[in-house]
Parts: sequence; C-alpha cells; structure tokens
Amino acid sequence: MSEFYNANSFLISLVGINAIMALSIYITLSCAMLSLSNAASMAIGAYTAALLTQQLAWALWPAVVAGALMSGLVALVLGLPIMRLSGVFLAIATLGFGEVIRIAIVNIDALGGSEGFRLNSGDRTIEASGWEVYGVLLLIAYFFSRLKGSRMSLALQAIREDENAARTMGINVTFYKVAAYVTGAIVAGIAGALYAHLRSFISPGDFGFQRAVDVLVFAVVGGTLAWRGAIMGAVLMTLLPEAIRVVPIVGGFNIKDQPEIFSGVILLAVILFLPNGLLTVALSLNRIRRPARKVIGHKEASP
Amino acid sequence: MILKRVRSQSVALSLLLTGAVIATACGGEAATATPQSQIAPTTGTGATMVATIGVETPMTAATMGTTASTGPDKGVTPGTAGATPLKVGFAFITSGDNAVYGNSQKAAVQMAVEEINGMSSGPKLEAVYEDTAAKPDQAITVFQKFINNDNVQVIMGPTLSNEAKSSDPVAQKAGVPVLGVSNTAGGITDIGDYIYRDSLAEFQVIPETIKQAKDKLKLTKVDLLYAKDDAFSKSGADVFRTELQKNGIQIINEQTFATADTDYKTQITAIKADNPDAIVVSALAKPAQTILQQARRDVGIDPKVAIIGGNGFNSPAVVKAAGDTAEGLIVGAAWNPNANDELSKTFIQKYTAKNGKGPDQFAAQAYAGTYILYDAAKRANLSGKSPAEARTAIRDALKDTKNLPTVLGSFSFTDKRDANHPPVVQVVKDGKFDILK
Amino acid sequence: MNLAQLPQQLLNGIFSGSIYALFALGYTLIFGVLDILNLAHAAIFMLGATVSWWLVSAQGWSLLLAFPVAVAIAGLLGIVLDRVAFLRLRQRGAPQLSALISSIAVSLIFVGLSRLLFKDDRKQFPDGTFPQVYFDIGSIRVRLLDVVILVVSLALMLGLTWLVQRTSLGRAIRAVAESPKAAALLGVNIERVIMQTFFIASALGGAAGILYGMSLNSIEPGMGSQVELKGLSIIILGGMGSIPGAMLAGFLIGMIEVLSVVFGGSQLKDAFVFVALFLVLLVRPQGIFGLKQGRAG
Repeated sequence: MSEFYNANSFLISLVGINAIMALSIYITLSCAMLSLSNAASMAIGAYTAALLTQQLAWALWPAVVAGALMSGLVALVLGLPIMRLSGVFLAIATLGFGEVIRIAIVNIDALGGSEGFRLNSGDRTIEASGWEVYGVLLLIAYFFSRLKGSRMSLALQAIREDENAARTMGINVTFYKVAAYVTGAIVAGIAGALYAHLRSFISPGDFGFQRAVDVLVFAVVGGTLAWRGAIMGAVLMTLLPEAIRVVPIVGGFNIKDQPEIFSGVILLAVILFLPNGLLTVALSLNRIRRPARKVIGHKEASP
Repeated sequence: MILKRVRSQSVALSLLLTGAVIATACGGEAATATPQSQIAPTTGTGATMVATIGVETPMTAATMGTTASTGPDKGVTPGTAGATPLKVGFAFITSGDNAVYGNSQKAAVQMAVEEINGMSSGPKLEAVYEDTAAKPDQAITVFQKFINNDNVQVIMGPTLSNEAKSSDPVAQKAGVPVLGVSNTAGGITDIGDYIYRDSLAEFQVIPETIKQAKDKLKLTKVDLLYAKDDAFSKSGADVFRTELQKNGIQIINEQTFATADTDYKTQITAIKADNPDAIVVSALAKPAQTILQQARRDVGIDPKVAIIGGNGFNSPAVVKAAGDTAEGLIVGAAWNPNANDELSKTFIQKYTAKNGKGPDQFAAQAYAGTYILYDAAKRANLSGKSPAEARTAIRDALKDTKNLPTVLGSFSFTDKRDANHPPVVQVVKDGKFDILK
Repeated sequence: MNLAQLPQQLLNGIFSGSIYALFALGYTLIFGVLDILNLAHAAIFMLGATVSWWLVSAQGWSLLLAFPVAVAIAGLLGIVLDRVAFLRLRQRGAPQLSALISSIAVSLIFVGLSRLLFKDDRKQFPDGTFPQVYFDIGSIRVRLLDVVILVVSLALMLGLTWLVQRTSLGRAIRAVAESPKAAALLGVNIERVIMQTFFIASALGGAAGILYGMSLNSIEPGMGSQVELKGLSIIILGGMGSIPGAMLAGFLIGMIEVLSVVFGGSQLKDAFVFVALFLVLLVRPQGIFGLKQGRAG
C-alpha cells in the first residue's frame, strides 16, 4: 500500500486539493452566485504562504492560516462593491478579478513574475503531504456539515431560491452574499497554501482561467445541493484523465489526448439530465428515500 | 441517519479513488514499450545476464568506446557489462498546445532507441513513454510513476522548463537522475546534483548571438519585444536585456504581449516609430511565426532592420510558415538543422525518411540525449546493482561524459551539469538556416 | 512615447475594433433575446475560421465561395448549440447560470474536437488566397485586406441593424427579447425565433472568426480565448443586449488597446481593458450605452 501511495502520492494529494477547491466554489453556488475568481484566491493563498515559509521561515500551519486570511481579506475588499451585482454580471466581474490577480503576479518581480516561485531550494524543507491535505479536507467537510441547518445555511438557501423574497423577509442579503464569497475565498486560500507546499514550484499559469473552469466543473458535476457532491465531483474529474488513458485510438484519432472533450461531455450530460449532479445518482443508489426526494423534488439548484 | 449517510458516501468515495488509481497503474503499464530484442524480464538478475550473453556476439563494441576496464574491477566479465538493460522514462508533451515539441522529441528518441537496441552489444534501452501535456501537475505525476511504479533508472525530459521546475525536484529527492533535453531556462540544474541537461541554456546561446549580431550589423539601438506572462519568453528577454547592456547597445523601448494574444501589430507599429537598428524578440514558436509576417508585411518594417530571435524562432517549421518574411532572421541555436558533420547528416537523412520532415533542434537534442544515456549506461556497469545503486551509478557516469561524439558535436557537461558546447548563430537565407558569416 | 505612430495606431484600432464589434454582436444578440451568456460563441468564432481554412486549403475552394459557406456552417452550428445545450434547460425553466455552464461544456467539446480533427498548430491560408496589396501614404501603411474586412464587417453590422429594426423577423426578435410570454400571446413562434436568432448570432461570430483569421493569417483551436475576454468587456461596456452599444464598444476596446500601447506601454494593455470593465460594472452596470439593466438576476 505504501508503495502504491509513493507512486501516486502527488495525484492522491491533488485529488484532495481539488476537493477543497470544489468546496470553495460550492459555498458561493449554494446561494446562486457564480464566482470565477476561486483560482485567483487559490493563488493569493499559495503565494502568501510560500513567501512566509520560504523567506520568513514560518512553519507550515501558521503560513496556511495567513494565506487563507490574506485571500479572505482581498475577497472582502473586492467583494463589498461587486456583491451589488448578480447573475452573469457577477460572474464576469469575478472573472475580471481573477485575470487582474494573475496579471498582477506576472508583474511582481518579488514573486518571480511569470517565471514562477521556487520553494524549498535550500536546506530548509517545508512540505505538505497527503496527510495534511486530507486532514484539512476533513476539517472543512466537518465545518460544512455543521453549517447545514444553521442560520447562515438557511439564509443562503433562501437567497438561492429568490433573492428579492429573501430580502423582503428581512434577510441581510448583501451580508450573507459577502460572507459566502469570503468563506469561499478563505477555503480556496487554504487549498492554495497547501498546494504550493506539495509542489516545489508555483507560477501564475497554475492559477489561470482554466483552473477556475475546472473547479466549476468539479462542483457542478458532483452536484451543488450538498457539499458531498462537490467532493465527489472533484475526485471523479481529477482522476478522469487517468481513466481515459485506456481509450483506444480510433481511425487515427487519438481522442484520449483531448481530455477536455470528455470533461465537456460529462459536464453537458450532468447539466442537462442531472441538474443536481451525480450526487443525485449516488443518493438514489443508496435508496435513501427522504433526502433524495427532497433533492429531486426541490426547485433546481442554481446551477 | 445523517451520520450513516456520510459514512456510506465516504466508503464509496474511497472505493472509487482506489479503483481509479489502480486503473491508472494498469493504463501506464500498457504504455510501456519493451524493446523487441529484449529477451529476459526487466530486472537485472543473474539469470537475465546469462540469457542475454547467449545471443550476444562478444564485444564488437570497441567502436562505441566501452570502458571495459571497469568490468574486471567489479569482478564481472567484460561481455556482461553491456547486458543489463537501462530503463529510461521519457516524459514529453504529446498532447495539447505544445505537442509539436514533444512529438518531435519522441520521434527522435524512438529512432535512437531502435538503433541502440539493434546493436549487437552494449546495454539495451527499455523505454517507457508518458505524456506531460504541458501541465506541471501532470509532469509531477508522471515522474512519480516513473520512479515508484516503473522503477526507471533515469528520466529524460520533461519538455518545458516550467514543467521541469515542478517535476525535477521530485526526482532529485528520490535520487533519480534526470536528463533535460529541451529545458533552456536558468536555474534548472541548480535543482540538484541529479539534474543534467544537454540543451544549451539561454545564458549560453544569447551572449554569442548578440555579440555576433553586433559585430556584423553594427547595432547601436534596438527594441525588445516579448511575452511577459510566459516563463520561456520572459527569461529569454531577461538574458537579452543583460547582454544588450553589456555590449553597450541601447534598448529604446520594451514592448510586451500576452501568451494568448494573436495580434502583435500594435506593438510592432510602436516599435517602427522608434526606428531601431534591430528588433530583438523572445517568443514561443507560434507568436514567432505571426510576428515575422506582421512585422515585414503588415507594418512594413524595413528589411535593413534585422529581427533577432530567441530559441522559439529556432524551428524550420516557423521559417517555413513565415515564408519570405523570415529572410534575414538571426537566431542563436544549439544545433543547425543543415549541419553537415557526418553524424548530423546521417541523422537528418534517417529522420527525414522516417517522419516525412526534417528534424529540428528539439529532435537533435533528444536524439543526442538518448546516446548520452546509452554511453553512461555502458560506463556505469549496471549488472548486479540494486535500483538505488544503479541510479547513482548513472548519475556519476553522466558526470564523467567526456567528448562523446553526438549530433550536437563532441559532448561533455560543465561542472554545473549544463551542456558544454559552443552555440551556432544562424541567419535565414532562402528559407533555410545558414551560419551567420 | 512617440506620437508619429498615432495615425497608424488609430487606424489599427479601427480595423481590429471592427472585428471585435462583429464578434460581440453575436454575444449581445443572444443575451438580449434569451438572457444567456453564451460562452460557446468564441468556439463558434474559431470553428468558422477553421472551416473556411479547411475549405480553402484542403478542398481548394476560392475564398469568395468558402466565406459564405463557412458562415452558414457557423450559423448551423449555432442552431445545433441551441438544440443541444439550451433547449432542454429552457423547457425546464432552469436558472440562468445553468445555461452559462452548459455553454462552457459545449465550448470544451468544440475546441477539443477542433484539436482532434485539425491538429493544434497555427494554420495559414495558402499563399495567394487574397492579394497582398498595401498602400503607403506618407508614414501610414494601409492593407487592402483590412479595408475589405472593415467594409464587410460594417456591412454585416448595418445588415443586422436593418434586420432587427425593419423586418418582421426583427420585430419578432425584439418582441421575444422584451417578453417571451407577451410575444407568445401575440402569436410569435418563440422556438422558431430563437432558432433564427442563434443562426444569425453564430453566423456573425463565424464571419468575425474568418475575418480575424484572414487579418492575422493565423487560425488555431485556441484563437477564441483571447477574443472571448475582449467580447465580454465589450458587451458590458456597451450594455448587455444592446446592439449599437456592442458596435461602439467594439471600436472603443480597439482604441483603448492601441492607445494604451501608445501612451502607457504594452505591459498595461490587458490591465487597461479589465480596469475599464470593472469601472463600468461598478459605476454603470447597465453599460455606457445601455438604457436598462438586462433581466439578469
């Protein structure tokens, strides 16, 4: 087993990182906000933590916390003005935010610019491994499980169903939306901080629009009505490129070299036929009548 | 109720995870290419050696300069020295945006492996190929698989410097030697003493390019154009800037573009207004092709204003696509695709016959790299060594590579494990790379 | 900063702006009618260019024939896109964001298929596909092709305006955009109008792709991604759903780009575009030229 872990330790840890990222976008999706800045939040966490462990010799955990806080802080400063927006306007604004962060990193020489930032090049090695990643994933999952049924969770649900109605009912919509956005950024920041210490090198290209889309795909494929769906989507979609290696070459077309076709087809199938994600299938397989009914009979989650 | 649901969910998740990773391991196995002449199982057991000796014609390998003397020292007969195969993991980009580089490398490696395994003596190469897809994450995964699953003794690749910066530390930590054959950025071999490369770095090629261009073109002032958000282009531009300053050439202005850009007309128009003696460009192959066309045709940069390109321009494909707009382009390189030494001539002829197009520098460096590994394996004498010992032995043998005849010329490594051979400065003439005279 | 380049740069801005505007029209038309942000539009832009290149270089067609055929194919792909990605969601009354994600999925598939079928390299039209004619007027160089591209895109824009303002189809499109329910009550066949809208929008996107590919003489699977971000900025600046807004904003973005290179340096080119995007979103979310906010949210 340890041999198996050694041969795949990075991939296994990456699954965990992606699961944390999927949770970070899940929280905003759960109140019908589409945020495309999670990759940028991940970058802020990654670069902050990396600078602290490498240049100020901090230990891993304080650096992870600092990375998460920094990411949350940036999201708060930015979140306040853009939370007035909704729907596609919000999505486009967060997309712009993500690009601006990436362009900023490219232009900051202290962060290595486009050439990237190297970790652990000297004698000191501060690294993360699967243990840390899955420990944190469990903690965050526990947080989300406790959140269910809480005041915040109910408020977010109400906002998702109908923002105006929620406002009429006296829910402070802006407060909860900012709270969800900042929580998502903090979670993404944690993922970024750990990710940087799993690798010995990070660069702005690791946190581009492509990653934002990947993370969205994780959450949507798994299902956005429950946090477990996000984790499930991340696991499946991260391992997808590995699984499709067995697809043969047909008629000279090496389709396995184009994994995005598979992700696209899966994403499309899910959004068309399983609006609440693969989790719906898992739940019905488990024959748990009550929640499954509730999920399916529910107004469709957005998205 | 809720608790129970969570548990069943996580059981399902872990099962899924395990299943998928096992599938991965099997998928990888299928990609393993065992050379046809390989007779016995892969591990270097005594039985393997005996079996292999049986079919070997003894020691015609003098041509290859086998260091037979190491054999007796280890108490092994010379004939067995070449019997233990070298297992090599090749990590190249064969899918996605940059597959053009990796496919060229893979074609050259396959040719070299076939040649080596067709020899009557010397160690065979057992090749495992994996695609890194130009993604650093995937490069790390591939390295881990090579090291722990395939138990390779040495890794060649990965294609891009950005991938190498992510994946090479994995090999360094595990004590597995890596030979980069296309990484040109600074800092790659600083990762550790297991990291080698046979590709000349930018800091080795660009100084010569600028020096010769200055001498021949009497440059006094230039403009610099590069992709700021691309590591390859940016680090090339940094070296260009330093060398231009060293040579007392004024940089009037710097213009940048983004990797995703496809239109450079605005920047080139601004450059034209500066009226420079030359335009120095650091860009990947795709922008390079468009920049040449837009500069010469659409913006109308005078042919007397030279364009000096970084390594991205160093590709017959770019020159072919750019057509007459590439005339006069000056590029420094590690290898000239029209080189006329014997080894290169044979290589070009064979490669062209096989692939329907001539080799580029990527192919030449990968081809030479395979022979460098072969040479190291011969001298390392792998027989009877544990995997860890074999890896260290290969690293030490790589270090001692001395004046090995390759298509890149007589090859040695520097003390810092970089390639040690002079660059060539080329100019495009009638659609072909010529030596700048 | 060297102001001698200014006239040439302004001209560059107009030429590239005309293609941006044409591209953004398709975005804005679909958003105006269906409230869908169709991120697959960039993939159709790319496919239009790729198909025209394939017809010319592999089939030996003349560009004059390949252009309309490729535009029509792009339009048909738009209908396919609607049937596959949006129809079911529409029938179900799914949220706006579901359609956005669905369009991302189709975009992944289209780009992947293009890589699979046409390889990933940067393609060029064969020499002589269009004449290389240049006019040098003083320090300014004008390319005949750019003039043709400008004329074609202006003609398509005027054509679209005429179609929307003056024809019965245009009236139906405007009615559906205003209120699908009311339009249905008035006897408009909504599904038919949506199909026609997708055809027109995607044909314009395909045409923009072909003109873009001709202008740069380079066509590749990833060519949509950069234009996509510009297109988003344009429809925000111009006001979501506003046709004249998208045209003006297209030229405006072209100008912002060249002027940021002239005055600020090319390092800041993309940053300028995003800052403009942010400011507009925060200060005037209905866009500079828009009168009302879309039905978003």
